[in-house]
Amino acid sequence: MSAPLQVYEPFRAGLPPLRKYWRSLWSRRTFIAEYSRSELREQHFDSLFGQLWLILNPLMLSAVYFLLIVIIGGSGGALRYGHLTASLFLFYLVSNSLSGGVKSVTAGQRLILNTAFPRMMLPISATVIAFFKFIPTLLVFMIIRTALGLPFGWEMLWSIPVILIALIFSLGVAILISTINVYFRDIASFLPYLIRTLLYLSPILYEASALKPKLRFFEHFNPLFSILESWSLSIVHAQAPQVSSLLVASAWAFGVLLIGTYFFLSREREFAVRL
Amino acid sequence: MSSLSASNSHHKTGDLAVSVQNLGLTYTTAIDRRPTLKARVKSLGRGTKQTRVVQALDDVNLDVSYGQVLGVIGTNGAGKSSLMRTIAGIIPPTIGRIEVFGSVSTLLALGVGFNPAMSGRANVYLGGLAAGMSRAEIESHFDEIAEFSELGDAIDAPMRTYSSGMYARLAFSVAATVQPDILIVDEALSTGDAHFKEKSFNKIKELRSEDRALILVSHAMATLREICNDVAWLHKGKLVSRGNPDQVIDAYQDFLHLGKSSVIDEDL
Repeated sequence: MSAPLQVYEPFRAGLPPLRKYWRSLWSRRTFIAEYSRSELREQHFDSLFGQLWLILNPLMLSAVYFLLIVIIGGSGGALRYGHLTASLFLFYLVSNSLSGGVKSVTAGQRLILNTAFPRMMLPISATVIAFFKFIPTLLVFMIIRTALGLPFGWEMLWSIPVILIALIFSLGVAILISTINVYFRDIASFLPYLIRTLLYLSPILYEASALKPKLRFFEHFNPLFSILESWSLSIVHAQAPQVSSLLVASAWAFGVLLIGTYFFLSREREFAVRL
Repeated sequence: MSSLSASNSHHKTGDLAVSVQNLGLTYTTAIDRRPTLKARVKSLGRGTKQTRVVQALDDVNLDVSYGQVLGVIGTNGAGKSSLMRTIAGIIPPTIGRIEVFGSVSTLLALGVGFNPAMSGRANVYLGGLAAGMSRAEIESHFDEIAEFSELGDAIDAPMRTYSSGMYARLAFSVAATVQPDILIVDEALSTGDAHFKEKSFNKIKELRSEDRALILVSHAMATLREICNDVAWLHKGKLVSRGNPDQVIDAYQDFLHLGKSSVIDEDL
Protein backbone atom coordinates (compact mmCIF):
# COMPACT_ATOMS: atom_id res chain seq x y z
CA MET A 1 0.00 0.00 0.00
CA SER A 2 1.57 3.26 -1.08
CA ALA A 3 1.29 6.44 0.94
CA PRO A 4 -1.49 8.83 -0.03
CA LEU A 5 -0.52 11.36 -2.65
CA GLN A 6 -2.74 14.00 -1.14
CA VAL A 7 -4.20 14.43 2.30
CA TYR A 8 -6.85 17.04 2.94
CA GLU A 9 -7.46 17.99 6.52
CA PRO A 10 -9.11 20.92 8.26
CA PHE A 11 -7.03 24.09 8.34
CA ARG A 12 -5.29 24.99 11.53
CA ALA A 13 -6.06 28.54 12.72
CA GLY A 14 -7.84 29.13 9.44
CA LEU A 15 -4.65 28.90 7.40
CA PRO A 16 -3.63 26.24 4.89
CA PRO A 17 -0.42 24.32 5.62
CA LEU A 18 2.02 27.03 4.57
CA ARG A 19 5.02 25.02 3.46
CA LYS A 20 2.90 22.85 1.22
CA TYR A 21 1.22 25.98 -0.07
CA TRP A 22 4.46 27.76 -1.03
CA ARG A 23 5.83 24.63 -2.61
CA SER A 24 2.71 24.19 -4.66
CA LEU A 25 2.79 27.88 -5.61
CA TRP A 26 6.42 27.61 -6.71
CA SER A 27 5.74 24.51 -8.79
CA ARG A 28 3.12 26.45 -10.72
CA ARG A 29 5.33 29.36 -11.69
CA THR A 30 4.91 28.42 -15.35
CA PHE A 31 1.23 29.21 -14.93
CA ILE A 32 2.08 32.72 -13.79
CA ALA A 33 4.41 33.21 -16.74
CA GLU A 34 1.96 31.75 -19.24
CA TYR A 35 -0.96 33.72 -17.84
CA SER A 36 0.92 36.99 -18.01
CA ARG A 37 1.99 36.27 -21.56
CA SER A 38 -1.53 35.36 -22.69
CA GLU A 39 -2.99 38.39 -20.97
CA LEU A 40 -0.48 40.76 -22.54
CA ARG A 41 -1.08 39.16 -25.92
CA GLU A 42 -4.81 39.51 -25.36
CA GLN A 43 -4.40 43.22 -24.66
CA HIS A 44 -2.13 43.47 -27.72
CA PHE A 45 0.87 44.59 -25.74
CA ASP A 46 3.01 42.18 -27.68
CA SER A 47 2.63 44.34 -30.76
CA LEU A 48 4.53 47.55 -31.54
CA PHE A 49 1.45 49.75 -31.32
CA GLY A 50 0.34 48.09 -28.13
CA GLN A 51 3.67 48.92 -26.54
CA LEU A 52 3.47 52.40 -27.97
CA TRP A 53 0.11 52.91 -26.30
CA LEU A 54 1.56 51.73 -23.04
CA ILE A 55 4.09 54.52 -23.20
CA LEU A 56 1.88 57.11 -24.87
CA ASN A 57 -0.76 56.95 -22.17
CA PRO A 58 1.37 58.05 -19.20
CA LEU A 59 3.39 60.30 -21.50
CA MET A 60 0.33 62.25 -22.55
CA LEU A 61 -0.83 62.38 -18.95
CA SER A 62 2.49 63.80 -17.88
CA ALA A 63 2.26 66.38 -20.68
CA VAL A 64 -1.18 67.43 -19.45
CA TYR A 65 -0.06 67.67 -15.83
CA PHE A 66 3.09 69.53 -16.85
CA LEU A 67 0.94 72.10 -18.63
CA LEU A 68 -1.16 72.38 -15.51
CA ILE A 69 1.87 72.89 -13.29
CA VAL A 70 3.40 75.48 -15.58
CA ILE A 71 0.17 77.42 -15.92
CA ILE A 72 -0.88 77.29 -12.27
CA GLY A 73 2.49 77.15 -10.60
CA GLY A 74 4.29 79.22 -13.16
CA SER A 75 7.40 77.09 -12.98
CA GLY A 76 8.68 74.57 -15.45
CA GLY A 77 12.06 73.17 -16.20
CA ALA A 78 13.65 69.90 -17.20
CA LEU A 79 13.92 68.58 -13.65
CA ARG A 80 10.26 69.25 -13.03
CA TYR A 81 9.22 67.42 -16.14
CA GLY A 82 11.58 64.54 -15.47
CA HIS A 83 10.21 64.16 -11.95
CA LEU A 84 6.63 64.22 -13.16
CA THR A 85 7.19 61.59 -15.86
CA ALA A 86 9.25 59.21 -13.76
CA SER A 87 6.82 59.43 -10.84
CA LEU A 88 3.82 58.83 -13.08
CA PHE A 89 5.47 55.78 -14.59
CA LEU A 90 6.10 54.20 -11.19
CA PHE A 91 2.66 55.22 -10.00
CA TYR A 92 1.22 53.34 -12.97
CA LEU A 93 2.96 50.18 -11.81
CA VAL A 94 1.03 50.34 -8.55
CA SER A 95 -2.25 51.42 -10.09
CA ASN A 96 -2.08 48.79 -12.86
CA SER A 97 -1.42 46.16 -10.25
CA LEU A 98 -4.44 47.37 -8.28
CA SER A 99 -6.81 47.51 -11.23
CA GLY A 100 -5.56 44.20 -12.61
CA GLY A 101 -5.61 42.52 -9.23
CA VAL A 102 -9.07 43.58 -8.16
CA LYS A 103 -10.94 41.14 -10.39
CA SER A 104 -8.23 38.51 -10.61
CA VAL A 105 -9.93 36.12 -8.19
CA THR A 106 -13.54 36.70 -9.22
CA ALA A 107 -12.66 36.39 -12.91
CA GLY A 108 -11.01 33.02 -12.29
CA GLN A 109 -14.31 31.67 -10.98
CA ARG A 110 -14.66 28.68 -13.28
CA LEU A 111 -11.11 27.57 -12.65
CA ILE A 112 -11.49 28.03 -8.90
CA LEU A 113 -14.68 25.98 -8.83
CA ASN A 114 -13.09 23.14 -10.78
CA THR A 115 -9.43 22.90 -9.89
CA ALA A 116 -7.42 22.83 -6.71
CA PHE A 117 -4.49 25.23 -6.93
CA PRO A 118 -3.03 27.97 -4.77
CA ARG A 119 -5.38 30.84 -5.54
CA MET A 120 -2.67 33.37 -4.83
CA MET A 121 -1.36 32.67 -8.32
CA LEU A 122 -4.09 34.94 -9.63
CA PRO A 123 -3.19 38.27 -7.95
CA ILE A 124 0.51 37.45 -8.36
CA SER A 125 -0.06 37.19 -12.10
CA ALA A 126 -1.78 40.58 -12.04
CA THR A 127 1.31 42.16 -10.51
CA VAL A 128 3.61 40.40 -12.95
CA ILE A 129 1.52 41.79 -15.81
CA ALA A 130 1.73 45.29 -14.32
CA PHE A 131 5.50 44.88 -14.07
CA PHE A 132 5.80 43.82 -17.71
CA LYS A 133 3.87 46.93 -18.63
CA PHE A 134 6.23 49.02 -16.51
CA ILE A 135 9.50 47.87 -18.13
CA PRO A 136 9.11 49.67 -21.49
CA THR A 137 8.15 52.91 -19.74
CA LEU A 138 11.38 52.70 -17.79
CA LEU A 139 13.37 52.51 -21.01
CA VAL A 140 11.46 55.46 -22.41
CA PHE A 141 12.21 57.46 -19.30
CA MET A 142 15.91 56.82 -19.76
CA ILE A 143 15.65 58.34 -23.24
CA ILE A 144 13.64 61.28 -21.94
CA ARG A 145 16.05 62.05 -19.13
CA THR A 146 18.97 61.96 -21.57
CA ALA A 147 17.13 64.34 -23.87
CA LEU A 148 16.36 66.64 -20.94
CA GLY A 149 20.03 66.66 -20.00
CA LEU A 150 19.47 65.45 -16.44
CA PRO A 151 22.60 64.44 -14.52
CA PHE A 152 23.70 60.79 -14.53
CA GLY A 153 25.39 59.12 -11.57
CA TRP A 154 25.94 55.88 -9.71
CA GLU A 155 23.34 56.98 -7.19
CA MET A 156 20.75 56.17 -9.82
CA LEU A 157 21.29 52.50 -8.99
CA TRP A 158 19.32 53.17 -5.80
CA SER A 159 16.28 53.05 -8.02
CA ILE A 160 16.61 49.25 -8.26
CA PRO A 161 15.80 48.56 -4.60
CA VAL A 162 13.10 51.21 -4.87
CA ILE A 163 11.49 49.34 -7.77
CA LEU A 164 11.67 46.16 -5.70
CA ILE A 165 9.94 47.87 -2.79
CA ALA A 166 7.31 49.25 -5.16
CA LEU A 167 6.77 45.74 -6.56
CA ILE A 168 6.33 44.25 -3.11
CA PHE A 169 3.86 46.97 -2.27
CA SER A 170 2.01 46.42 -5.58
CA LEU A 171 1.79 42.71 -4.89
CA GLY A 172 0.47 43.36 -1.40
CA VAL A 173 -2.30 45.66 -2.58
CA ALA A 174 -3.21 43.32 -5.46
CA ILE A 175 -3.59 40.39 -3.06
CA LEU A 176 -5.55 42.50 -0.58
CA ILE A 177 -7.95 44.02 -3.07
CA SER A 178 -8.58 40.73 -4.88
CA THR A 179 -9.79 39.25 -1.58
CA ILE A 180 -11.97 42.25 -0.78
CA ASN A 181 -13.56 42.00 -4.21
CA VAL A 182 -14.85 38.49 -3.43
CA TYR A 183 -16.90 39.97 -0.59
CA PHE A 184 -17.79 43.28 -2.18
CA ARG A 185 -18.02 42.95 -5.93
CA ASP A 186 -18.45 46.67 -6.50
CA ILE A 187 -15.07 47.57 -5.04
CA ALA A 188 -13.71 47.92 -8.59
CA SER A 189 -15.98 50.90 -9.16
CA PHE A 190 -14.50 52.67 -6.13
CA LEU A 191 -11.01 52.05 -7.39
CA PRO A 192 -10.73 55.09 -9.72
CA TYR A 193 -11.48 57.39 -6.78
CA LEU A 194 -8.92 55.67 -4.63
CA ILE A 195 -6.29 55.83 -7.36
CA ARG A 196 -7.05 59.51 -8.07
CA THR A 197 -6.76 60.38 -4.40
CA LEU A 198 -3.47 58.53 -4.10
CA LEU A 199 -2.18 60.31 -7.18
CA TYR A 200 -2.82 63.75 -5.70
CA LEU A 201 -1.61 62.87 -2.22
CA SER A 202 1.65 61.48 -3.53
CA PRO A 203 4.65 63.55 -4.56
CA ILE A 204 4.01 63.34 -8.30
CA LEU A 205 2.65 66.74 -9.30
CA TYR A 206 4.97 68.28 -6.69
CA GLU A 207 8.27 67.28 -5.20
CA ALA A 208 8.38 65.74 -1.76
CA SER A 209 10.86 68.38 -0.61
CA ALA A 210 8.40 71.15 -1.51
CA LEU A 211 5.99 70.00 1.17
CA LYS A 212 5.54 71.99 4.40
CA PRO A 213 6.96 70.14 7.44
CA LYS A 214 3.50 70.16 9.01
CA LEU A 215 1.99 68.32 6.07
CA ARG A 216 4.95 66.01 5.80
CA PHE A 217 4.02 64.32 9.04
CA PHE A 218 0.74 63.17 7.57
CA GLU A 219 2.49 61.74 4.57
CA HIS A 220 3.81 58.93 6.73
CA PHE A 221 0.29 57.58 6.36
CA ASN A 222 0.53 57.60 2.59
CA PRO A 223 2.30 54.35 1.69
CA LEU A 224 3.38 55.70 -1.67
CA PHE A 225 4.98 58.87 -0.34
CA SER A 226 8.31 57.43 0.75
CA ILE A 227 8.50 55.11 -2.23
CA LEU A 228 7.98 57.93 -4.71
CA GLU A 229 10.24 60.32 -2.82
CA SER A 230 13.13 57.82 -2.93
CA TRP A 231 12.32 57.01 -6.54
CA SER A 232 12.49 60.61 -7.71
CA LEU A 233 15.67 61.33 -5.76
CA SER A 234 17.49 58.34 -7.21
CA ILE A 235 16.33 58.17 -10.79
CA VAL A 236 15.64 61.85 -11.56
CA HIS A 237 18.08 63.72 -9.36
CA ALA A 238 20.73 60.95 -9.31
CA GLN A 239 21.03 61.34 -5.54
CA ALA A 240 21.03 58.71 -2.83
CA PRO A 241 17.63 58.55 -1.12
CA GLN A 242 17.37 59.01 2.64
CA VAL A 243 17.72 55.82 4.60
CA SER A 244 14.72 56.78 6.74
CA SER A 245 12.58 57.09 3.61
CA LEU A 246 13.70 53.70 2.36
CA LEU A 247 12.92 52.17 5.74
CA VAL A 248 9.45 53.68 5.90
CA ALA A 249 8.82 52.58 2.32
CA SER A 250 9.95 49.01 3.07
CA ALA A 251 7.89 48.90 6.26
CA TRP A 252 4.79 49.89 4.31
CA ALA A 253 5.48 47.47 1.48
CA PHE A 254 6.18 44.44 3.66
CA GLY A 255 3.40 45.38 6.07
CA VAL A 256 0.82 45.53 3.30
CA LEU A 257 2.11 42.31 1.75
CA LEU A 258 2.00 40.52 5.08
CA ILE A 259 -1.50 41.71 5.96
CA GLY A 260 -2.74 41.06 2.44
CA THR A 261 -1.28 37.56 2.38
CA TYR A 262 -2.72 36.68 5.77
CA PHE A 263 -6.12 38.04 4.79
CA PHE A 264 -6.02 36.16 1.49
CA LEU A 265 -4.90 32.83 2.93
CA SER A 266 -7.36 32.91 5.79
CA ARG A 267 -10.21 33.57 3.35
CA GLU A 268 -9.06 31.43 0.47
CA ARG A 269 -10.99 28.40 1.69
CA GLU A 270 -14.23 30.31 1.23
CA PHE A 271 -13.58 31.45 -2.33
CA ALA A 272 -15.08 28.34 -3.91
CA VAL A 273 -18.36 28.79 -2.06
CA ARG A 274 -18.49 32.58 -2.35
CA LEU A 275 -18.06 32.86 -6.08
CA MET B 1 -2.85 20.76 -3.80
CA SER B 2 -3.54 18.03 -6.26
CA SER B 3 -1.21 17.61 -9.10
CA LEU B 4 -2.11 15.84 -12.26
CA SER B 5 1.48 15.19 -13.18
CA ALA B 6 2.17 13.44 -9.93
CA SER B 7 0.61 10.14 -10.93
CA ASN B 8 2.79 7.89 -8.88
CA SER B 9 2.65 4.36 -10.11
CA HIS B 10 0.60 1.57 -11.48
CA HIS B 11 -2.54 0.88 -9.50
CA LYS B 12 -4.16 -2.48 -9.06
CA THR B 13 -7.82 -3.26 -8.77
CA GLY B 14 -8.86 -3.14 -5.16
CA ASP B 15 -6.15 -0.68 -4.18
CA LEU B 16 -7.56 2.26 -2.32
CA ALA B 17 -8.02 5.33 -4.52
CA VAL B 18 -9.87 7.71 -2.23
CA SER B 19 -10.52 7.41 1.46
CA VAL B 20 -12.99 9.80 3.04
CA GLN B 21 -12.99 9.62 6.82
CA ASN B 22 -15.59 11.24 9.11
CA LEU B 23 -15.89 14.10 6.70
CA GLY B 24 -17.83 17.14 7.78
CA LEU B 25 -18.14 20.34 5.81
CA THR B 26 -19.68 23.56 6.98
CA TYR B 27 -19.30 26.82 5.18
CA THR B 28 -20.61 30.34 5.16
CA THR B 29 -21.89 31.72 1.95
CA ALA B 30 -23.29 35.06 0.89
CA ILE B 31 -27.05 35.27 0.43
CA ASP B 32 -26.64 37.80 -2.36
CA ARG B 33 -25.33 36.32 -5.54
CA ARG B 34 -23.28 39.42 -6.09
CA PRO B 35 -22.63 41.02 -2.71
CA THR B 36 -21.75 44.68 -2.93
CA LEU B 37 -20.48 47.27 -0.53
CA LYS B 38 -23.28 49.58 -1.61
CA ALA B 39 -25.98 47.08 -0.70
CA ARG B 40 -24.22 46.36 2.59
CA VAL B 41 -24.01 50.03 3.54
CA LYS B 42 -27.62 50.64 2.57
CA SER B 43 -28.85 47.79 4.74
CA LEU B 44 -26.77 48.91 7.74
CA GLY B 45 -28.79 48.88 10.92
CA ARG B 46 -31.56 46.87 9.33
CA GLY B 47 -30.29 43.72 10.90
CA THR B 48 -30.78 41.75 7.71
CA LYS B 49 -28.60 38.70 7.42
CA GLN B 50 -25.92 38.81 4.77
CA THR B 51 -24.64 35.28 5.06
CA ARG B 52 -25.96 31.80 5.52
CA VAL B 53 -24.22 28.89 7.17
CA VAL B 54 -24.53 25.69 5.22
CA GLN B 55 -23.92 22.27 6.71
CA ALA B 56 -23.11 20.52 3.47
CA LEU B 57 -21.63 17.23 4.71
CA ASP B 58 -22.00 15.46 8.01
CA ASP B 59 -19.84 12.53 9.08
CA VAL B 60 -19.39 10.94 5.68
CA ASN B 61 -17.22 7.83 5.40
CA LEU B 62 -16.50 6.55 1.95
CA ASP B 63 -13.75 4.49 0.38
CA VAL B 64 -13.30 4.24 -3.34
CA SER B 65 -11.00 1.61 -4.81
CA TYR B 66 -9.32 1.35 -8.18
CA GLY B 67 -11.46 -0.46 -10.67
CA GLN B 68 -14.57 0.98 -9.10
CA VAL B 69 -17.05 3.18 -10.94
CA LEU B 70 -18.95 4.93 -8.21
CA GLY B 71 -22.20 6.73 -8.96
CA VAL B 72 -23.27 9.38 -6.47
CA ILE B 73 -26.97 10.14 -6.25
CA GLY B 74 -29.18 12.32 -4.11
CA THR B 75 -31.67 15.14 -4.30
CA ASN B 76 -30.61 18.72 -4.96
CA GLY B 77 -28.64 20.04 -2.02
CA ALA B 78 -27.76 16.59 -0.75
CA GLY B 79 -24.07 17.48 -0.70
CA LYS B 80 -22.96 15.63 -3.82
CA SER B 81 -21.05 18.53 -5.33
CA SER B 82 -19.58 19.48 -1.97
CA LEU B 83 -18.29 15.94 -1.55
CA MET B 84 -16.71 16.03 -5.03
CA ARG B 85 -15.07 19.37 -4.28
CA THR B 86 -13.60 18.21 -1.00
CA ILE B 87 -12.21 15.07 -2.67
CA ALA B 88 -10.70 17.25 -5.39
CA GLY B 89 -9.12 19.48 -2.75
CA ILE B 90 -11.04 22.55 -3.84
CA ILE B 91 -12.69 23.04 -0.45
CA PRO B 92 -10.79 21.81 2.61
CA PRO B 93 -12.92 19.85 5.08
CA THR B 94 -14.19 21.34 8.32
CA ILE B 95 -13.61 18.08 10.14
CA GLY B 96 -12.36 14.68 9.10
CA ARG B 97 -9.73 13.63 6.66
CA ILE B 98 -9.47 12.78 3.00
CA GLU B 99 -6.69 10.70 1.50
CA VAL B 100 -6.21 10.56 -2.23
CA PHE B 101 -3.95 7.91 -3.75
CA GLY B 102 -3.45 9.13 -7.29
CA SER B 103 -3.79 11.98 -9.72
CA VAL B 104 -7.24 13.53 -9.94
CA SER B 105 -8.93 15.12 -12.89
CA THR B 106 -12.20 16.89 -12.28
CA LEU B 107 -15.08 18.03 -14.35
CA LEU B 108 -17.12 20.13 -11.98
CA ALA B 109 -19.13 23.15 -12.97
CA LEU B 110 -17.71 23.10 -16.49
CA GLY B 111 -14.16 23.67 -15.51
CA VAL B 112 -12.46 25.30 -18.45
CA GLY B 113 -12.91 28.87 -19.46
CA PHE B 114 -10.58 30.56 -17.12
CA ASN B 115 -10.65 33.79 -19.06
CA PRO B 116 -13.45 34.22 -21.64
CA ALA B 117 -11.45 36.80 -23.57
CA MET B 118 -8.75 34.24 -24.34
CA SER B 119 -8.93 31.50 -26.92
CA GLY B 120 -9.97 27.95 -26.11
CA ARG B 121 -6.38 26.91 -26.66
CA ALA B 122 -4.98 29.40 -24.13
CA ASN B 123 -7.64 28.39 -21.64
CA VAL B 124 -6.83 24.70 -21.96
CA TYR B 125 -3.16 25.47 -21.34
CA LEU B 126 -3.87 27.71 -18.38
CA GLY B 127 -6.30 25.24 -16.85
CA GLY B 128 -3.76 22.44 -17.24
CA LEU B 129 -0.93 24.46 -15.74
CA ALA B 130 -3.14 25.45 -12.82
CA ALA B 131 -3.95 21.79 -12.27
CA GLY B 132 -0.24 21.12 -11.95
CA MET B 133 0.53 19.68 -15.38
CA SER B 134 3.64 20.68 -17.24
CA ARG B 135 3.61 22.44 -20.60
CA ALA B 136 4.93 19.32 -22.30
CA GLU B 137 2.21 17.15 -20.80
CA ILE B 138 -0.51 19.50 -21.99
CA GLU B 139 1.07 19.70 -25.41
CA SER B 140 1.09 15.93 -25.71
CA HIS B 141 -2.62 15.79 -24.95
CA PHE B 142 -3.67 18.90 -26.78
CA ASP B 143 -4.36 17.48 -30.23
CA GLU B 144 -6.44 14.74 -28.73
CA ILE B 145 -8.42 17.26 -26.68
CA ALA B 146 -9.02 19.48 -29.69
CA GLU B 147 -10.08 16.55 -31.81
CA PHE B 148 -12.39 15.03 -29.23
CA SER B 149 -14.11 18.36 -28.60
CA GLU B 150 -14.84 18.70 -32.35
CA LEU B 151 -14.37 22.43 -32.06
CA GLY B 152 -12.30 22.73 -35.21
CA ASP B 153 -10.99 26.22 -35.85
CA ALA B 154 -13.05 27.57 -32.98
CA ILE B 155 -10.36 26.34 -30.59
CA ASP B 156 -8.43 29.51 -31.43
CA ALA B 157 -11.41 31.82 -31.08
CA PRO B 158 -12.05 33.67 -27.79
CA MET B 159 -14.14 31.55 -25.44
CA ARG B 160 -16.73 34.27 -25.03
CA THR B 161 -17.84 33.44 -28.57
CA TYR B 162 -18.56 29.81 -27.61
CA SER B 163 -22.05 28.42 -27.19
CA SER B 164 -22.80 26.58 -23.97
CA GLY B 165 -22.55 23.30 -25.85
CA MET B 166 -19.07 24.20 -27.10
CA TYR B 167 -18.03 25.08 -23.56
CA ALA B 168 -19.30 21.77 -22.32
CA ARG B 169 -17.59 19.81 -25.07
CA LEU B 170 -14.23 21.40 -24.44
CA ALA B 171 -14.54 20.95 -20.68
CA PHE B 172 -15.40 17.30 -21.03
CA SER B 173 -12.60 16.71 -23.51
CA VAL B 174 -10.02 18.23 -21.18
CA ALA B 175 -11.13 16.22 -18.17
CA ALA B 176 -11.45 12.92 -20.00
CA THR B 177 -8.35 13.09 -22.17
CA VAL B 178 -5.62 13.71 -19.60
CA GLN B 179 -5.60 10.07 -18.40
CA PRO B 180 -6.00 10.66 -14.68
CA ASP B 181 -5.92 7.90 -12.07
CA ILE B 182 -9.12 9.23 -10.59
CA LEU B 183 -11.74 11.02 -12.66
CA ILE B 184 -14.52 12.95 -11.00
CA VAL B 185 -17.41 14.06 -13.20
CA ASP B 186 -20.23 16.12 -11.77
CA GLU B 187 -23.43 16.10 -13.80
CA ALA B 188 -21.67 16.79 -17.01
CA LEU B 189 -22.51 13.67 -18.97
CA SER B 190 -25.70 15.09 -20.31
CA THR B 191 -24.20 18.16 -21.91
CA GLY B 192 -23.95 18.87 -25.57
CA ASP B 193 -26.14 17.53 -28.33
CA ALA B 194 -27.25 13.93 -28.73
CA HIS B 195 -24.18 13.08 -30.73
CA PHE B 196 -21.73 14.40 -28.18
CA LYS B 197 -23.73 12.96 -25.31
CA GLU B 198 -23.35 9.54 -26.88
CA LYS B 199 -19.68 10.18 -27.51
CA SER B 200 -18.93 11.28 -23.97
CA PHE B 201 -20.94 8.37 -22.60
CA ASN B 202 -18.81 6.00 -24.65
CA LYS B 203 -15.66 7.76 -23.54
CA ILE B 204 -16.60 7.22 -19.91
CA LYS B 205 -17.22 3.55 -20.63
CA GLU B 206 -13.85 3.38 -22.30
CA LEU B 207 -12.19 5.00 -19.29
CA ARG B 208 -13.52 2.28 -17.00
CA SER B 209 -10.46 0.23 -16.40
CA GLU B 210 -8.88 -1.72 -13.62
CA ASP B 211 -6.29 0.86 -12.77
CA ARG B 212 -8.63 3.80 -12.66
CA ALA B 213 -11.37 5.01 -10.35
CA LEU B 214 -14.34 6.96 -11.63
CA ILE B 215 -16.76 8.95 -9.55
CA LEU B 216 -19.85 10.15 -11.36
CA VAL B 217 -22.50 12.46 -9.99
CA SER B 218 -25.68 12.25 -11.98
CA HIS B 219 -29.44 12.37 -11.92
CA ALA B 220 -29.60 10.11 -14.95
CA MET B 221 -30.42 6.84 -13.23
CA ALA B 222 -30.40 4.76 -16.39
CA THR B 223 -26.87 5.89 -17.16
CA LEU B 224 -25.69 5.11 -13.65
CA ARG B 225 -27.29 1.66 -13.74
CA GLU B 226 -25.42 0.96 -16.91
CA ILE B 227 -22.00 2.37 -16.13
CA CYS B 228 -21.47 2.03 -12.39
CA ASN B 229 -20.54 -0.99 -10.35
CA ASP B 230 -21.22 0.84 -7.10
CA VAL B 231 -23.59 3.60 -6.03
CA ALA B 232 -23.61 5.90 -3.01
CA TRP B 233 -26.73 7.79 -1.98
CA LEU B 234 -26.38 11.05 -0.13
CA HIS B 235 -29.18 12.82 1.65
CA LYS B 236 -28.86 16.11 3.53
CA GLY B 237 -25.13 15.72 3.85
CA LYS B 238 -25.20 12.16 5.14
CA LEU B 239 -24.42 8.94 3.40
CA VAL B 240 -27.69 6.98 3.38
CA SER B 241 -26.59 3.81 1.68
CA ARG B 242 -23.97 2.41 -0.57
CA GLY B 243 -23.67 -0.74 -2.61
CA ASN B 244 -25.12 -2.52 -5.59
CA PRO B 245 -26.32 0.06 -8.14
CA ASP B 246 -29.73 -1.50 -8.76
CA GLN B 247 -30.54 -1.91 -5.09
CA VAL B 248 -29.44 1.58 -4.06
CA ILE B 249 -31.09 3.26 -7.01
CA ASP B 250 -34.33 1.34 -6.43
CA ALA B 251 -34.33 2.39 -2.79
CA TYR B 252 -33.66 5.98 -3.80
CA GLN B 253 -36.49 5.97 -6.29
CA ASP B 254 -38.86 4.46 -3.74
CA PHE B 255 -37.80 7.20 -1.37
CA LEU B 256 -38.69 9.79 -3.96
CA HIS B 257 -42.13 8.13 -4.29
CA LEU B 258 -41.59 8.04 -7.96
CA GLY B 259 -41.24 4.38 -8.58
CA LYS B 260 -39.58 3.43 -11.76
CA SER B 261 -41.18 6.15 -13.79
CA SER B 262 -39.66 6.71 -17.15
CA VAL B 263 -39.05 10.38 -16.43
CA ILE B 264 -36.43 9.72 -13.79
CA ASP B 265 -34.78 6.98 -15.76
CA GLU B 266 -34.37 9.18 -18.72
CA ASP B 267 -31.02 10.68 -19.38
CA LEU B 268 -32.07 14.28 -18.92
